[in-house]
Amino acid sequence: MMKELLYAEFVKIVKQSKTYYALVAIAVIELLIFITAYYQGSTILDLLLNTLRQNFYFEGSLLNGNLILYIVLNSLWFNVPLILMIVTSGLLTDEHKDGTLQTVMLQAVNKWKFILAKYITAAIFTLMVIGFMMLSSFALAYAVFGSGDLVVYIGTLNFFEAKEAFNRICWAFASGSIAMIFYSTASITIAIFIKEAAKTWIASALFLIITNLLLKADFLPAGLNSFFFPKLIDTWQQLFNYKIDWQQIGLNNFMLLFYCFGFAALGIFAFQKKDIG
Amino acid sequence: MKRLFLLAFTLLTTSLVYAQKVDADLLRIKQRMDSVVKFTATVTLNLDVPFIQMPTKKALVSYTKGKRMQFTSKDFVMLPKRGLDFSLSEIFKYPFITVDRGTEKRNGRALKTLNVIPTDAKSDLVLVTLYMDTKAARIMESDINTRKDGSYSLLMQYNAAKNILPDYVEAAFAIEKLKIPFNFMGKDTKIDRKKMRGMDTKTGKIKMKMSDYKITLR
Repeated sequence: MMKELLYAEFVKIVKQSKTYYALVAIAVIELLIFITAYYQGSTILDLLLNTLRQNFYFEGSLLNGNLILYIVLNSLWFNVPLILMIVTSGLLTDEHKDGTLQTVMLQAVNKWKFILAKYITAAIFTLMVIGFMMLSSFALAYAVFGSGDLVVYIGTLNFFEAKEAFNRICWAFASGSIAMIFYSTASITIAIFIKEAAKTWIASALFLIITNLLLKADFLPAGLNSFFFPKLIDTWQQLFNYKIDWQQIGLNNFMLLFYCFGFAALGIFAFQKKDIG
Repeated sequence: MKRLFLLAFTLLTTSLVYAQKVDADLLRIKQRMDSVVKFTATVTLNLDVPFIQMPTKKALVSYTKGKRMQFTSKDFVMLPKRGLDFSLSEIFKYPFITVDRGTEKRNGRALKTLNVIPTDAKSDLVLVTLYMDTKAARIMESDINTRKDGSYSLLMQYNAAKNILPDYVEAAFAIEKLKIPFNFMGKDTKIDRKKMRGMDTKTGKIKMKMSDYKITLR
């Protein structure tokens, strides 16, 4: 039963035009980053390293593929999750809008299995989108800008050699994928409660904005604060601290997965209890 | 004839006074340094600046007398604007006078201390304090004050008594706090204003370890 449900969800995702709009939107974001970096990259770096120029000569270039990939990674803060939330919430809101949900529920389909299939599809779709984003940006960034050392500012100005930068970027994409799955999961849960597409998008965008704002706010006790989900979505960025705290990153991602299951469990419970109509 | 005699006398006394003002040990070191026509070496660079984290870098350094030192590297390297003049040619470039400051104990070693004051306004150096090992005929440490690039100090170490050029150089310099535009800050970067105010000027160091020297002597 689950296999068939998953297959049906994938057919829907492949057939709907929204999926391709999402991929095009991500490609456009990437392209804009590339064009800006190509024409203004040197100026931006000059601005960043201006103080250091008083004391140092620089040999070699920092405007390279790794810096571009780091900028692309920064779209994981808002642009990419917003697109993902719109598409994945559509997995349910479209069913409400088209009235297909009632039709499916008239069949011998378990409600919880039906909604679980949507959560699994959303997670796999999210991974595929991040995979697409990763491959396309890696190919373009290295083809146009080449490889080289990466500089990032996280408390201190951190420099990484090209190979190290590549590894960290790969890990950051992997960690970022979990944050994106969290947003996709949350968007389906929101869709279960709201049902209507436009309202779900607004609520999802609000959820995203609030999560980003709460990242900087510290009003919970220190022990709890670090496990509050808005504090976990930046875990991918911790891979650019000069010394990586793998244990903390592992724990954060584990907690984020726990929140994914929590949101999904809440959604499944609510869907199970709700009348379809 | 009288005028000519006066001119010759003035020139002679001026040059004698000038010669007297340059320390003999320094001239000996200068002579030794002057024998280096060109050299190449591999430099291992370690940057020690409070707000910069950078891995150890390697670069190839090449020097030809009368020219600027050249650095090449596969990686991105940051090189200090001052402190790369191992041959000390910058000090000897323009006329100068020296003032003997006696002996000072540095790192457990008694070193002759000398103030070098350039007499030509074209020199960017204002005052240089040299700490010399007169027995080995080489400069061990120096504190340099410049007109444009502030002050910096150099610490040099040599692996063997016969080595003319240092095998290890540590350049220390004042560095202004980093001014990062907000756009470049990581999203979770917290701004500690108290800490930032205390970071107005810091001392940075670059540690350079030289190897594979290929020196051409005159």
